[in-house]
Amino acid sequence: MTPADYTPFAHLTAPNAPLYRQVMRAFLAAKERFAVHLRPEDVYASLDAGSRPADVEAVTQALDKLVEWGNLRADPDHARVTAVEDFYRRRFIYQLTRAGEAAEAALGTYDEVLGRRGELQAVALHDIVTQLRALLVIAAEDEPDPAKTYVALSVLTARFTDLADNARAFMGSLQRTIDLHDIEVEAFLAYKDRLIQYLERFIQDLITLGGRIALLIGELEERGSVKPLLSLAAAREAADAAPEDAEQAEAAAYEKWAARWSGLAEWFVSGEGRESQARLLRGRALGAIPQLLAVVRQLNERRAGRSDRSADFRTLARWFAQAPDDAARHRLWRVAFGLHSSRHLTVDADTLAERTASPEPASTPWGEARPLRISPQLRRTGSYERRGKPRKVADRGEAKRRLAALAARQTEETRRARDRLVTGGPVRLSRIGELDPLAFQLFLRLLGDALATWRPDTTTTTATSGDGSMEVRLTALDDGATAEVRTPDGVFRGPDHLIDIVDLTAGHGDRAAPAPVPIPAPREDTSPRLTEDR
Amino acid sequence: MSGPLAEVLDGQRQADLQKAARALLKEPLLTADGPYADEFRLVRRHAAELREWFERNVGWALRTDADAARLRKTPGTLTDATHPAREAARSALPFTRRRYVLLCLALAALERGESQVALGRLAEQVVLAAADPELVAAGITFTLERRDERLDLAAVVRLLLRLGVLRRVAGDEDAYVSGAGDVLYDVRRRVLAGMPASLRGPSMVEAEGFEERLTEMTARTALDSDELRFRAIRWKLTRVLLDDPVLYYDDLTDDELAYLTRQRGFITARINELTGLVPEVRAEGVAMVDPLDDLTDVRMPEQGTHGHITLLLAGHLARATGPVEPEELAVRVRELAAEHGGFWSKSAREPGAEPELVEKALTKLVALGLAERTERGVVPRPALARYAVGEPVVREPEPGRARRPATTAKTATTAQTAKAAKAAQAVQNTQDER
Repeated sequence: MTPADYTPFAHLTAPNAPLYRQVMRAFLAAKERFAVHLRPEDVYASLDAGSRPADVEAVTQALDKLVEWGNLRADPDHARVTAVEDFYRRRFIYQLTRAGEAAEAALGTYDEVLGRRGELQAVALHDIVTQLRALLVIAAEDEPDPAKTYVALSVLTARFTDLADNARAFMGSLQRTIDLHDIEVEAFLAYKDRLIQYLERFIQDLITLGGRIALLIGELEERGSVKPLLSLAAAREAADAAPEDAEQAEAAAYEKWAARWSGLAEWFVSGEGRESQARLLRGRALGAIPQLLAVVRQLNERRAGRSDRSADFRTLARWFAQAPDDAARHRLWRVAFGLHSSRHLTVDADTLAERTASPEPASTPWGEARPLRISPQLRRTGSYERRGKPRKVADRGEAKRRLAALAARQTEETRRARDRLVTGGPVRLSRIGELDPLAFQLFLRLLGDALATWRPDTTTTTATSGDGSMEVRLTALDDGATAEVRTPDGVFRGPDHLIDIVDLTAGHGDRAAPAPVPIPAPREDTSPRLTEDR
Repeated sequence: MSGPLAEVLDGQRQADLQKAARALLKEPLLTADGPYADEFRLVRRHAAELREWFERNVGWALRTDADAARLRKTPGTLTDATHPAREAARSALPFTRRRYVLLCLALAALERGESQVALGRLAEQVVLAAADPELVAAGITFTLERRDERLDLAAVVRLLLRLGVLRRVAGDEDAYVSGAGDVLYDVRRRVLAGMPASLRGPSMVEAEGFEERLTEMTARTALDSDELRFRAIRWKLTRVLLDDPVLYYDDLTDDELAYLTRQRGFITARINELTGLVPEVRAEGVAMVDPLDDLTDVRMPEQGTHGHITLLLAGHLARATGPVEPEELAVRVRELAAEHGGFWSKSAREPGAEPELVEKALTKLVALGLAERTERGVVPRPALARYAVGEPVVREPEPGRARRPATTAKTATTAQTAKAAKAAQAVQNTQDER
C-alpha cells in the first residue's frame, strides 16, 4: 500500500456506506472480545436487527467489497458444512487488516471530536484538587519520590487538559446553541433545563473548588516546591532517553512541564492585569443563562407566531373583500376578532331603588312597566347641567343670620361649659361631680392635654388647652383613691388626681372674644373610661 | 378582629374581581402599558378565577401573559352588525371594505415579519399581498401611491397602535401620509398573537357562502349528547345576556326559550355576581342593565345634541304604533328643533341636517336593541318603552330657564347612583364610582 493509498476510506463515500460502517464496527466489536475471524453469518447476526439487510448474501457482498478496498482480509473457510449448497458456495472467513483497523480508529476519533457536546467537567475540578493535595504531601517529604511526583503531575496535566478542552468545546457549543444556528426547537427546549441546571452546578463548583485550587497552587509556589517537583518529573521522563541526549532531553522535558504548570496556574490564578481562565469561564457561564433565557423567549415568540395564522389573516382579507355589504363586514369583524365592547342599557339609582321597593312581575311587558326615570332637565335640554344665562347673585343675608345665631349659641354653650369647669383652686377629681356632655367634652380635652405632657415620674404638670383659653394643673395623688365623673352618657373612672382649672380668658372684659372651636356633639354610645394607667 | 377584617378584604377582592371582569368585557384586549394598565393588573391578579368563570359560563378563553390579557369573545349571535371596527381617531368612523382588507393584509405581513417594522416596508408587503388573484377578482387593488390609500393604511396602523399590537418608536403617520417620511414600530408579537378570536382559523374553513363561513368559524364540534347541547344553549344565552343590551324571547328557538325559562334566575345571578349588572325581566325579554353606566360603548340617555335627539326620537318612536319612515322622523326632528333647538349645536339646527341626525339616532337605537330597521321603516322594539314617558313635564314659555328641582334631582341622582345600586342589589363595596 503506497502512502497515498486511502482506499480503506473508500467505503465512506460508496453507496451503502451505512452498511459498510456497520460491518466494520462489528469487526471492531469482535476484536474487543478477541475474536479475530468472522464468518458472514456472524457478521450478519451482530448487525442491528432493525437495519440489517434482508439476507446474508448482501452482507457477504459487502464483506467482499471491503476486502477489495483493503479493509478486510478474506481467508478460505475450511469448516464443516451441513448442506450441499453451502459446500458449493465459495466460503471465506474475514478479519480486519491493519489498514482497516487504522481507518476505523481514525473514524472513531473523528466521531468523538465532532460528537463532543462540550461539557464542563466538575469532576475534573475535584481530581485537580486531589492531585494538588498529593503534590503538597509529596513536596513535604525530605526526598520526594520521583515516581509519585511524576504520576501525580501526569494525572494533573491530563485532567487539566481535559478540562480546558472541554471548556473550550463547551463555549463553542454554548454559543452555537445561543445563536440558534440549525438547532431543533424541541432539542433546544429539552436541552435548556439540563443546561441551566448544569451551569448552576458547575459555576458553584468553579467558585468553591476554583478558589481552593488557586490556594493550593499558591501554597505550592510559596514553598518553592514547584521547581524541584517539575525537575524531578522531567528527570524521570528523560531517564529513558539515550545517554548522549539525556541532558538535553531533561531540559526539554522541564520546559514542557514548566509550561504546563504555568498554564494550570494561569487558568486558576488571576495575575496582575490578567484574568484567570477560570474566572473568564465563570463569567461566560453566568452570562450564558440570561442569553439562554432570551433564546427561550424568542422561541416562544416564534411559536406564538404560528405561520398558519398569517394564512388566517390572508383568508380573512379575502372574505372581507368578498362580503356582500358593510353590515356583513361588520359582522365578520365581530366574529373573527371579538374586540367589541359589551353593551348594556343603563339604569339609574332612583329607578333601581323604586324597583327594589316594588318589583315588576316578570310577565309585565315593557310597555306597561314603569319607564326609566329620566331627568326632565335632560329630556328638555339634552344636558344634566343647566346651560344659558348665569344665575342672579343670591341674597345670602338670611343664611348668614342663621349662621351667626348658630355661632353665638355655640359660643354661649362653650362659655357655660368653661365656667362649669373652672375649679377656682385645686380640687380632687372626685369632687368634679356630674358634667353635661359639652362640659365633659371640654374636660376630656383638657385632661388629654395635661396627660400628653405627663412623663414617667411626673407627679404634677401644667398644660394649656389647644386654643389657649384654659390652663389645667394636674397633680397625682398616691392614696389609691378612684375618681368618678358622672355624665348623662356614662361614668368616667380613673385614679384620683388633684386638679386645678383656670380660665385664662377670665381676665378679659369680653369673654366670648376668642371664638372657640365648636365642640362636636359627643357620641351617644360612649361610656368613657380613663385608660391612662399610671 | 379577624372577622370584620376578613369581610372587608373579601369585599375588596370581590370589588376588584368585578372591576377586572368589567374591564375585560369592555376591552377584550388589555395591554400592560395601554390606557387600562390598572385594570390589566387586576385581571392578572384574578386571572385564574376569571378564566374559570368565562370558560365555564360562556366558553370564552382568557389568555394572560406579562404583556397582555385577552378575552376571546365569541358573540352569542352572528347577525349583529352594530359592532364595526372603528377609527382610533375622534371621529370613530366605522371601517370601510378597503380598511378591513388592509387591516388583515397588514396583520398577515406582521405575523410573518420581524420584531420591528417600518410603515413603508409594511406598505410594500401589503401591496404585494394585495396582488392575490382572489382579491383582485373581488375588485380590490392597492398601490398605496394615492394619498387616500395611504390614509387608509394610516387608519389601520392607528387602530393597531391603539390595540397595542404596534408600538411607535419614531416618526409619525401624518408624515407618511403626506409622503414626507416613514414611521418605525415595534411589533408586539404576543399581542398580535391574541388578535384572532374565532374558534377555528379562517384558513381551516372551507365553506364558500358568507353565512356558512361565520357559522363554521364559531361552531363547536358535533353536539352529540344532551349535556353538550344544554351547555351550548347555556353558553349562547349567557353570551347574549353578558354581551348584548337586550335578549328578546322572539329571537330564541324553542329549546333555548325553554332552557332560559328554567334557568333564568341562575344565569342572571351568575352574571350579576361577576359584573354587577342587574336583570330587567319583562314579558318580551331580558336586559341586563348597568347601574354603574359604564359597561357599554353606546350610551342612552346621553348628554349632548345627538344624545338628546336620540332620546326625543325614542320617545316619539315609543308612542308610534307601527313602522315609522325615516322621513317622518326627519320631520319630527324639524319640529323638535323649534322647541329644543336652543340647546343643540349650531350645525344640528341648520335646515337639511335632519336626515343625518335621524341616521345617527337610529344607529344608536338599533345598536342598543331598541329599534329595528325594516323595509317599511323603523320598527320600535319592546325595550324602547323604557324611555317612553309623556312629554317632558316641565313646560315653560321661554327656553333657557329650568326649574331648580329638576336640576338638583338629577345631580343628586348621579352622585347616589352607585350607593343606591349597592343597597338595591346587595353588592358589597362597589367602588367603581367614577
